[in-house]
Amino acid sequence: MLVVVVTGASVNADDAEAWRTRFSQEIQPMLAQKCLDCHSEDDASGEFDLTMYMRPDQLLETIDVWERIARRVRNGEMPPADSEALTDDERAAMLGWVDNAPRDESCRQLASDESQRWYRGHVMSRRLTRFEYNHAVRDLIGVDFGLANMLPSDGAGGEGFDTTGDSLFLSAIHFERYLAAADRVAGAVLSEDGNTQTPDLLMARQRLLAPGQDCESEEAAAEAIFVALASRAFRREVVADERERWMQWYRDARGRDEDHLAALRSLVTAVLVSPHFLFLVEVEPDEEGVRALTGHELATRMALLIWSSLPDQTLRERAEDGSLLDPSVARREVRRMLADPRSRALGERFAIQWLDLGSLGTGRRPDAERFPEFDPELAEAMRGEVIEFVVSMFRADASLLNLLDSNETYVNARLAEHYGLSGEFDDTFRQVSLDGLPRGGLTTMAAVLTNTSFPHRTSPVLRGGWLLERILGERVPPPPADVPALEEEGQALVSRSLRERLEQHRLRADCATCHDRIDPLGFGLENFDAIGRWRKDDGGVPIDASGRLPSGEVFDGPEELKQILLARRDQFVKHLTRQMLGYALGRPLNRFDQCVIDDTLKALQRQDYRASLLIEEIVVSYPFQHRFIKK
Amino acid sequence: MAHHRPQASISRRTFLHGAGVTLGLPWLDAMASGLRASTGPQPQPPRRLACLFFPNGVWQKDWIPQQTGREFDIPFALEPLADLRNDLLILSGLDKAHSRQGDGHYAKTANFLTGMPVEKTTGKNINSGGISLDQLVAQHVGSQTPLPSLELGTEPVISGVDSNVGYTRLYGSHISWQSPTRPVAKEINPRMVYERLFGAEDGSVAVGGQHQHLLDFVLEDAHRLRKRLGRDDQFKFDEYLDSVRAVERRIEFHQNRGPDQWDPQSSGLPAPPAPGLPDDFREHVRLMLELIVLAFRTDATRVSTMMFANDVSGRNFAFVDGVSGSHHELSHHENNPDRIAQYTRIVRWHAQQFAEMLRLMKSIPEGDGSLLDHSMILFGCGMSDGNRHDPNNLPIIVAGQAGGTITTGRHIASPKNTPLCNLYLSMAHRMGVDIDQFGDSTGELTEVDAG
Repeated sequence: MLVVVVTGASVNADDAEAWRTRFSQEIQPMLAQKCLDCHSEDDASGEFDLTMYMRPDQLLETIDVWERIARRVRNGEMPPADSEALTDDERAAMLGWVDNAPRDESCRQLASDESQRWYRGHVMSRRLTRFEYNHAVRDLIGVDFGLANMLPSDGAGGEGFDTTGDSLFLSAIHFERYLAAADRVAGAVLSEDGNTQTPDLLMARQRLLAPGQDCESEEAAAEAIFVALASRAFRREVVADERERWMQWYRDARGRDEDHLAALRSLVTAVLVSPHFLFLVEVEPDEEGVRALTGHELATRMALLIWSSLPDQTLRERAEDGSLLDPSVARREVRRMLADPRSRALGERFAIQWLDLGSLGTGRRPDAERFPEFDPELAEAMRGEVIEFVVSMFRADASLLNLLDSNETYVNARLAEHYGLSGEFDDTFRQVSLDGLPRGGLTTMAAVLTNTSFPHRTSPVLRGGWLLERILGERVPPPPADVPALEEEGQALVSRSLRERLEQHRLRADCATCHDRIDPLGFGLENFDAIGRWRKDDGGVPIDASGRLPSGEVFDGPEELKQILLARRDQFVKHLTRQMLGYALGRPLNRFDQCVIDDTLKALQRQDYRASLLIEEIVVSYPFQHRFIKK
Repeated sequence: MAHHRPQASISRRTFLHGAGVTLGLPWLDAMASGLRASTGPQPQPPRRLACLFFPNGVWQKDWIPQQTGREFDIPFALEPLADLRNDLLILSGLDKAHSRQGDGHYAKTANFLTGMPVEKTTGKNINSGGISLDQLVAQHVGSQTPLPSLELGTEPVISGVDSNVGYTRLYGSHISWQSPTRPVAKEINPRMVYERLFGAEDGSVAVGGQHQHLLDFVLEDAHRLRKRLGRDDQFKFDEYLDSVRAVERRIEFHQNRGPDQWDPQSSGLPAPPAPGLPDDFREHVRLMLELIVLAFRTDATRVSTMMFANDVSGRNFAFVDGVSGSHHELSHHENNPDRIAQYTRIVRWHAQQFAEMLRLMKSIPEGDGSLLDHSMILFGCGMSDGNRHDPNNLPIIVAGQAGGTITTGRHIASPKNTPLCNLYLSMAHRMGVDIDQFGDSTGELTEVDAG
């Protein structure tokens, strides 16, 4: 089934031309006058050479760069305070020009003959991540064997997620471990003596063997059991010749003196190490172009996105009868899947990677002497809060803006104690009200605050950088190598506050360019110590949590800082969408994907930023539903 | 075969002092019986290669000796190695020119052992410029041991991408590259390394002859599937095929041992380390280094790499006297004397762990000398000063004489712009790899030669 999408007869060619003309006539002269003094050629400020993006015929291809520029202008960060400002008219012209970029042109070009040469929307057939693998075995067999830690850890690529095919590698050790894990699972579920099994395993055994119950022969039973298992594991129908080969494998096992049960174990082991199970395969037909995914392929992408696992029975049925290809059915399925406990994966896998909390408590961690309260259990509780919070938002279909500020959060006994909350708590996470407390939303969660601190103290720089990057999607250039001497520890530490020292730092123009954006945001969170506890002073020095942004906006304390973030809600939601799309597609995004992001933002604006809509829009989007065939 | 008692000569601090356990050691048994049947002379001990990487550079004034040749004063950071000075070659002046471009860390770590340019990417076309030294050697000598090579570390792969500098952080987590485009996964769990080498306590091995048929079946199925994939996907899929074949090779290895193989004289195996990841970083590093020694001693492999930590590691080193901060933070010392003092103590701690490993290797007799005498242990980092991120004048030490082919006990200062890969070429030759060039080498580093 090959659907080649034909270019929508470039209806916007005239618009594009007008847009380019507008650049030459209005924007270019202004840039030359107000920006290029700093942003050109070798000594370009912030290592940003604007002249590289000013060729009229390439404006559209670099639209993402122009969007970034517009964002800095819109937020009042550029031109910087010590340079000549843009007039209101110039500012409006600049923003208007970027906002009116003829997007549709590039959206519709998706599969034109020309774009095929450089379209980078190819989703690689990849193996499952180690977490997807564990979830898949869990849902296939019905028991969580905790297999993820048997496998080496996975790296990340694309937009920063482990679902990116290009950055998922297989080494010799992987197959050793797949084999050992498969042996373990098959041996546990189909052990010689079923009577000694735990209730969980016994149930799993019965479920696995059930399809063969009424069969006339052992071989027929084996076949029924295999087909039921493999069609779930391989996420598709098992075809006839394939079935025959696998049954030959069963017969060969019997021929080697394995009894029925042992041969079944061999069959289960083989399914669990099969490339059809371990790899996410979307087969390419011979023709070039773009094809719509089959129902089963779409079901698999959806299950990996929302559950980090395999499709369930319902999803398979929707795939089988083709109804899943209907966007309204797909949307309904998304909502059903989000309500299912398996959607916890969105918190565990998506949110933790997006927020960069994976290494909390392992790599950089609070100093044990300074913060004896911090231990692995607390780290787990901190991470748990983020996961519960994000997952609950999706389950309740609440507003995405809750991520920025909320009156509620989720704590267990350990975290409640850490936060100083009163009430009855135990090991399980429970929703609590934060009314009247300065806490609420991701930015004031202990996991975030701890992970953006140094072992001995907070770091307004790390926290500010985190807010810019992870919440607002801004780029923060790395500090230059060989940073000049900065009066830091020792005597100075006693006499001067961290704020004074960092302000000293910002007197240097080359430091100020970036740190004027970064540091004030971080100072807004100074009321939280290096493990996220509320404080009013730091070693006797009262906390000053006020800040002034390059735009001139001022704030005092976390509550007012959050209001500033909320005012930039669309920038935040756009970034979140971008991240989720990158996670869903498992590849770096390109400018065509910007259309999906724009559409999603519009839909969210119309419907109160409903969380489920974010997933729905992505699932019904063109790049999620199609496969590009690369030749 | 009495391999139940630990060797007495080995330090009591090692996990070797634990109660001996009986393990299924298929290849040790096979070798012993093979040797009993053979009447020829005892073969020469094989050469071993380990490359140990530590992150975040060094304070050079405390690392590079002021004098060259044999008479040099041991600098502060290397003091823990003082009693081992006759087993060391301290090499200064070596450069990695291809790391001068690109980001501060990632472009200097991924190519620590390849010496070639690292592709700037957050995911597409991940490329470290070349095969790494250890993997090249493993391709040549790996067929003689159950495992071609062993890749170890203490931290999981750093997740995420650094969108500011435009690199995937994965680059900071891998020094072993099977090919320019394929990093080798590293193992960080000591117990699992042990079981991979010697099997589990219940006598079971992760892979064995019982899997032979399964592998045949899986491979056939995989080949069918491969044909239906797109070209790029086929490349990716080949990793799966290679992974299956590696297991197949390991099974076949035990079935094809010749009587002229090296007999590792293994009289005992230590008890396995406790399951799970050690809480204490010091313990973790010690276990990993001892596992390399153990793997070398038993000839389970002849090639290994170890990353003390991933690059940009922010580990808190407050456990070292005089240090109160994290590694990467302190490496950006900003020329502040107090920070430098802490930074250099962290480097010194790493040198101390290296020294412990060397002492252990020296205590294991082999042929006419010790295990260390037949090995080359490279110890170093892909940048020099952590504050400047320079890839010039890199901190590099080689310990061991590679079977009498290296004269140790010297500080060799190479002329400016001498490629680090010249050393790697010399090392590859000593491991029996017949090549004219490695990475950006311009010739052998003949100064290391014995003579």
